[in-house]
Amino acid sequence: MLLGIIIVITVGAFYLIHLLPGDPAVIILGTGDSPANKARLYAQLGLNKPIYEQYFVWMKNILHGNLGTSFISETPVWTTIKSAIPIDLELMVISQILAFAAAIPLAMRSAKRPDGPLDRMLSAGSFTLLSIPAFIAIVLLVLFIAIDLGVPHTGPSSYVSLGSDWIGNLESLALPSFVLAVGSFVVYYRVLRSDLIATLQEEFITMARSKGISQRRIMWRHALRPSSVALLGTAGVNIGGLLAGGFIVQYLLDIPGLGYTLISAIGYSDYLVVQGIVLVVAVGVILINFVFDFIINIVDPRISRE
Amino acid sequence: MSLTPQLLVVKDLSTTFDTPAGPLAAVGGVSFDLNQNETMGIVGESGSGKTVLARTVMGLQPRSKVTVSGSVLLNGFEVVGASDVEKQKIWGLQVAMIFQDPMTSLNPVMRIGRQIDEILRVRLGMDRHAAKARAIELLELVGIPSPAERYHVFPGQLSGGMRQRVVIATALAGSPQLLLADEPTTGLDVTIQAQILNLLDEIKERMKMSVILVTHDLGVVATRTSRLIVMYAGRIVEMGSTRDVFVNHRMPYTRALLDGSPKVSNPSHTRLLAIPGRPPNLLKLPPGCSFAPRCSFATDRCHKERPELQPANTPGHTFACWNPLPTNRGASA
Amino acid sequence: MSNSYFVNELVEEATTQTTPERKKRLGVLFWICVGWLALNVLGAIFANVLPLQDPLYQNYSIINAGPSLHHLFGTDDLGRDIFSRIVFGSRVSIEVSLGSLLIGFGIGAPLGMLAAYRRGKFDSLLTTVMYMFLAFPAIIATIAVLSFWTPRSLLKIIIVVGIASIPLVYRVIRTATMNIATKDYVIAAKVQGATDWRILGRELLPNVAPIGVSFLLIGIATVITLEGSLAFLGLSVNPPTPSWGNMINESRTILQQNPWLAIFPSLALCLFLLCLNFIGDRLRSHFEVTEGKL
Repeated sequence: MLLGIIIVITVGAFYLIHLLPGDPAVIILGTGDSPANKARLYAQLGLNKPIYEQYFVWMKNILHGNLGTSFISETPVWTTIKSAIPIDLELMVISQILAFAAAIPLAMRSAKRPDGPLDRMLSAGSFTLLSIPAFIAIVLLVLFIAIDLGVPHTGPSSYVSLGSDWIGNLESLALPSFVLAVGSFVVYYRVLRSDLIATLQEEFITMARSKGISQRRIMWRHALRPSSVALLGTAGVNIGGLLAGGFIVQYLLDIPGLGYTLISAIGYSDYLVVQGIVLVVAVGVILINFVFDFIINIVDPRISRE
Repeated sequence: MSLTPQLLVVKDLSTTFDTPAGPLAAVGGVSFDLNQNETMGIVGESGSGKTVLARTVMGLQPRSKVTVSGSVLLNGFEVVGASDVEKQKIWGLQVAMIFQDPMTSLNPVMRIGRQIDEILRVRLGMDRHAAKARAIELLELVGIPSPAERYHVFPGQLSGGMRQRVVIATALAGSPQLLLADEPTTGLDVTIQAQILNLLDEIKERMKMSVILVTHDLGVVATRTSRLIVMYAGRIVEMGSTRDVFVNHRMPYTRALLDGSPKVSNPSHTRLLAIPGRPPNLLKLPPGCSFAPRCSFATDRCHKERPELQPANTPGHTFACWNPLPTNRGASA
Repeated sequence: MSNSYFVNELVEEATTQTTPERKKRLGVLFWICVGWLALNVLGAIFANVLPLQDPLYQNYSIINAGPSLHHLFGTDDLGRDIFSRIVFGSRVSIEVSLGSLLIGFGIGAPLGMLAAYRRGKFDSLLTTVMYMFLAFPAIIATIAVLSFWTPRSLLKIIIVVGIASIPLVYRVIRTATMNIATKDYVIAAKVQGATDWRILGRELLPNVAPIGVSFLLIGIATVITLEGSLAFLGLSVNPPTPSWGNMINESRTILQQNPWLAIFPSLALCLFLLCLNFIGDRLRSHFEVTEGKL
């Protein structure tokens, strides 16, 4: 199944170009369109051969880690992508830790007294946050930070790599991680809250109470795990979406991750880079979902038995 | 009437649920007491409030939308009005409950061993190995074969009867003085029912516990309890020694219940008598006797005025009825 | 089964007898939200006829002006009226979301229902294909296609986003239908010899519809956000046509001089989304659809 999906994705990423109207060579070369490049492209991709042969040539290259060489920047596509991936991973890890750290205890508080004052407040807050898209959040945050702190608006903080200065690195990732974390938090909080409320109604929770163990222990040891299947499923999809959807945050804050690279490649009409990123992200999303499916099976033994 | 001190004293206990359709009086004005080492039965149709009564005695009712009044003194501890944190001290160690449905009362994502030894580790402070050893002992006690292996399985891997044994083992883990068994065998096959009940009897003797056995099945309580409470619409309608209730019952409802359950002494294929009508709407209880609408002996007074419990001929035997059945000592049992 | 297992039993017994079922109320806030959305949609439809200033008219004598009587929300860096640009800009959001979800639901929903009802080979084949598409991140695919499919137009966006939403709709509807198709009353209808169309139309559709509607509202909110993001990347409608997304994008370079240009379209967009989310949530609790099902 996993292999099948990967085949479909590679075919999709490969075929993308042929779905578009016009000469593939012109699209691929984009602004780097010159007779010499065109000849090189034809030789590299075998564009004069039948389409299935082209696919095999392309696949063979990919399996050797060769995603082609950009005709715009003249650097191998894989090199470009490779340097961007750690940034995405870092953003993902930080934002997810923040999101879970906030969502789990707050969802528990809410579920303890559904429709109580705290629950109402949190629900209203989560609604408002749910309705603020990331790009607006960033524009407004930048606006207020710039105005309130009196900092001259020089544009968003620029990225500092982890290797060179880890404090500077964390500082430069603070705003994007925060925005991404808030987006994830809202989703996790809502999903977990509703499942926790349902779980707390279960008879086995009453039985746990009858043992005389603390409320806290009941929440963490008895209620959380059976309530987290939907949460984990959502997180799998959400993290996959983050890989792809974090692009706007990266673009606005000049964080040179995959999203940023993708958008600049689009700006230069650098087709091969776009294709490479689509492929990498799609495979990443699948792997993440696969991992989460695996975790869900461990967390809830009922699922694997069914 | 007894030399042993009373373990449990319940006085005028009422439990009212706050529902969208108005207050629902699930238990109203119930008083009784229970001695050490005694087994008492509470019987009634489904919806008669017996389960709610058992939970309220333990203080295990839902935290919100419930009003409890009256008094429950358990070993001198006042359960009514106590907070969860206060009640946590007695739960599990002084009083424990065997839940009705073994399919829903065990945590499906927790290994059964963990569910049993949780109380040992958290409440009794045993270390992991001691707790595990004790949990395996308990599994053996309730008759689960190869307990050391079963310690590691999830509830979903066990049959209903096995799960109910796990529920019982969990309830016994804290060696409580009072065990509330809420329909412990309802969800099980008839053959397993007897096994579980015998097991309970045996353990009760061995561990010197008091047991309240809640059931709708008179056959279950007939030979195992010393006293019986008959409930209808949240109230006690008759209470006394098991023999008095079976033989000298005065309340027509008790007779209706007895007529509705099969007896060994009857010839086979005897038609069981069903109680006409339906249990009353607890949201709109009639002002008089709750059973009056279904009672063939009901008079005007029954519909207007609620009868209080009054003593019968034998000490300790009480009933609530305006037109009690005549005493018929020695009739069919 | 519940902790209040016995309570439910009692309440059920007590209520099924005499008390008529209480009608659940949606609340005032719900209707305010519906009203706000209706106002937006009407504004978008009748933008041409309304006494609004020309959203494209550039008046260089009053650029970057704050709110005033003449320009309710002020003007942008080219002296265009922000209020009228917001009203006209709502057209893009509404057209894209409705158009693409029409495609998504038009194809995804019937396929999902049929697959869940028929099961067998038809279902497993279709589901496999759909899940493969699902693995392909919709946003990335949309961006990739739109960036190379020039010239850009609203219709192309609608088509691409619509197609990308098909597998999502398919999955939700299929799962919902399957949950209901295994219920006793559907099986009873089958046993009684009801035709497939009758079961689909009479038994399944009315029960799947609430979940579909809830998902539709979430979908609209998602597509509106997506259009905003695309506008940010310059992949949505071409300027000078206003859309909420490209207005916010244009404001970024002059945030300091004219914060209103960022604030008002953001507010319009967020309020619209807030109403959609709120309505969706109320309907979900009304129809008792849990969050995890979507």
